[in-house]
Amino acid sequence: MTPPLDRLRALRAGGGLAAAYHEVPGLLAELLDDADPARRTADLCRAGRLLAGADPEAVLRHHPDTPALTVAITGQSTVGELVDPLTAELARHGLLLRPLLGDFGGYLRDLTDPAGLFHPAGPVHPAGPVHPAGPDLALCLLDAETVFAEVPTPWQPEDVAAAADRVLGRLAGLVAEYRQLSAGTLVLNTVPLLRTHSHQLVDHRSRARLGAVWREFNAGLLRLAEDHPSLVVIDLDPLVADGGPAYDPRLAGYAKARLSTPLLAAYAREIGHLARALRGKTRKCLVLDLDHTLWDGVLAEDGPEGVAAAGTLRGEAFGGFQRHVRQLASQGVLLAVSSKNDEAQVLETLRDHPDLVLREPDFVRINANWSDKAGNLLDIADRLGLAPDALVFADDSPAEQAQVRHGAPGVAVLPLDDEPALHPVRLLADGWFDVPRLTDEDRDRTAQYRMEGQRSRLREGSGSLAEFLAQLGVTVEVGPPSPHEYPRLAQLTQRTNQFNLTGMRLQPAEPALLADDPERLLLAVRSADRFGPNGLVGVVLGRYTEDRLLLENVWLSCRVLTRGVEQACLAALLAHAAAEGLGAVDAYYRPTVRNHRVRDFYPALGFTELAREGDQVYYRHDLTERPDAPGHIRLDLRVDRPRPSHA
Amino acid sequence: MREPDSLEAFLRMVGEELDLTVGDGDADRDLADLPGWDSMNLLRLVTLLEADSGRRLPVRAVLEARSLAEIHSVLERQA
Repeated sequence: MTPPLDRLRALRAGGGLAAAYHEVPGLLAELLDDADPARRTADLCRAGRLLAGADPEAVLRHHPDTPALTVAITGQSTVGELVDPLTAELARHGLLLRPLLGDFGGYLRDLTDPAGLFHPAGPVHPAGPVHPAGPDLALCLLDAETVFAEVPTPWQPEDVAAAADRVLGRLAGLVAEYRQLSAGTLVLNTVPLLRTHSHQLVDHRSRARLGAVWREFNAGLLRLAEDHPSLVVIDLDPLVADGGPAYDPRLAGYAKARLSTPLLAAYAREIGHLARALRGKTRKCLVLDLDHTLWDGVLAEDGPEGVAAAGTLRGEAFGGFQRHVRQLASQGVLLAVSSKNDEAQVLETLRDHPDLVLREPDFVRINANWSDKAGNLLDIADRLGLAPDALVFADDSPAEQAQVRHGAPGVAVLPLDDEPALHPVRLLADGWFDVPRLTDEDRDRTAQYRMEGQRSRLREGSGSLAEFLAQLGVTVEVGPPSPHEYPRLAQLTQRTNQFNLTGMRLQPAEPALLADDPERLLLAVRSADRFGPNGLVGVVLGRYTEDRLLLENVWLSCRVLTRGVEQACLAALLAHAAAEGLGAVDAYYRPTVRNHRVRDFYPALGFTELAREGDQVYYRHDLTERPDAPGHIRLDLRVDRPRPSHA
Repeated sequence: MREPDSLEAFLRMVGEELDLTVGDGDADRDLADLPGWDSMNLLRLVTLLEADSGRRLPVRAVLEARSLAEIHSVLERQA
């Protein structure tokens, strides 16, 4: 078959790239798998160059559902070189880049001038009047010159310390100011210390002092993220350690391009995963093969005694991989198994084998059988209520990798091979499971999904749905979120695709702003049942207008769908609106790729259609004949302040 | 990518690598007048050529070139 890059070139030459944009993620996955490692970065840049040549608006005309991100790029030096790799990295995830390039060295002005390039006055976010105008992501690339531009010649470590303090103070101010102008995520980065700086000092004592001063500057940058929910600081140290060099002195000197091409490519990869997370596309489940993936040996041939994950050099490498996997699982990544083996033998091995770090309870689903893996992957997705593009699949066999890539498109395939020491590198090469901030729900997710198994068994043991729901004993609490719930609340809006009536998502900084807005009603939905708490499972966002309440969106986790939670919430909300003396509750539905199941949510609750605008449908409920709350749910609605007085 | 020896081959390679429409008549055109040309293109070109050939190119000379023919002759001198 023609190499993927040539196919991209042919599409570009024939003017068909925009029309074929949906094929691009597959082509790029193939390109990354096939490319000689030394050429991977350059080939991805080439692909990015071709993709950047396609007009984003043309892509959207052909594929209106493509999530597009406006990304502002600015920094201390020439930053245009980031556009190609970033275009490619976003395209890998099915995202579309709309780049906004800042002026060379003008990052302070770019980011903080309210009338500047990055803060265009004009219509706000189309999904609702929530976001102030501004890019979805603003990347401000810092490099060593950010500090050294302010250091005199000759210099001592103390001069660098003074300059670093000034710069850090300025950046802290910039972050605060940016937050006033945009709810979008701002990205800064740490700055690698260059040998051409450290070794200008000839004595080891001064050199050590410079090293400490420099790390304090970087630590200060990283700590800024603790105080600002919409700030992300990418640490370049691990990227340089992996891929160096950090810069090319010729390009830095002659073209003011102070971050090297490989480093920018690695940075773009991180941003791709950040963008993915912000668009609700974080992967949720890691599906693992067993033989030569989690342990050394082939269970069906060697028997449980013949497989190893400790005790031998190779075995230890597999044990190390299991520890990496377990570390991910502790942060909310669901684990599952797809293995060609007999189920009984697999379960016995997972229970009794002395070497294993991962045990049966660590997996939410174990598919051990002899059917093809693509089918098993789709089955696992289905059982967990996930789309295939929420799965990552790790297998050492090229044949299985290819079968899944073609038979279960959307699943990300990790190309493990026969060198287990490289398994962790491959697992972590992409940030498939990256989230802006971890929440309690994340840490508890495996337990939640296992609890879900108990619920399924109750469901199977119950005669009717009504009987099951009656036995389930669902309680729902609806009320204003506490500040500690803001991260989880934003995350829920980012991860929820099916029950998301308008496709709107909240950026990490937005819950706090919305909760403080007297015109708005922001409610968190928490639920529990006899098996335990589900945690924060839904969000309601409304805006008071005159004597009405406009529901800007309702989000509900797919974990609690089909239990009447959504009907109970709306019934209570409508009753509350009537009690407050409102004249009506308005709402709208905007179709997205994944939310067709909630198309009739509002009409089913007695809302009547008011108007249509494109594919968007507006509804109104006049509050006279309100729906009954489902009898099996105990619901408590608490709204802690009256509606605004103008209403 | 093959080392571009002739000027024609070089122009073809530039067109492909930089996603530009470059004809034979463009060899001596001022870079600023090339349709679709931007200042990042020289940087891209240097990076790609070096990554592929493993050779070090005279970056300053390439960055200062005013036309594709000039860049080509810089590369020829280097070869």
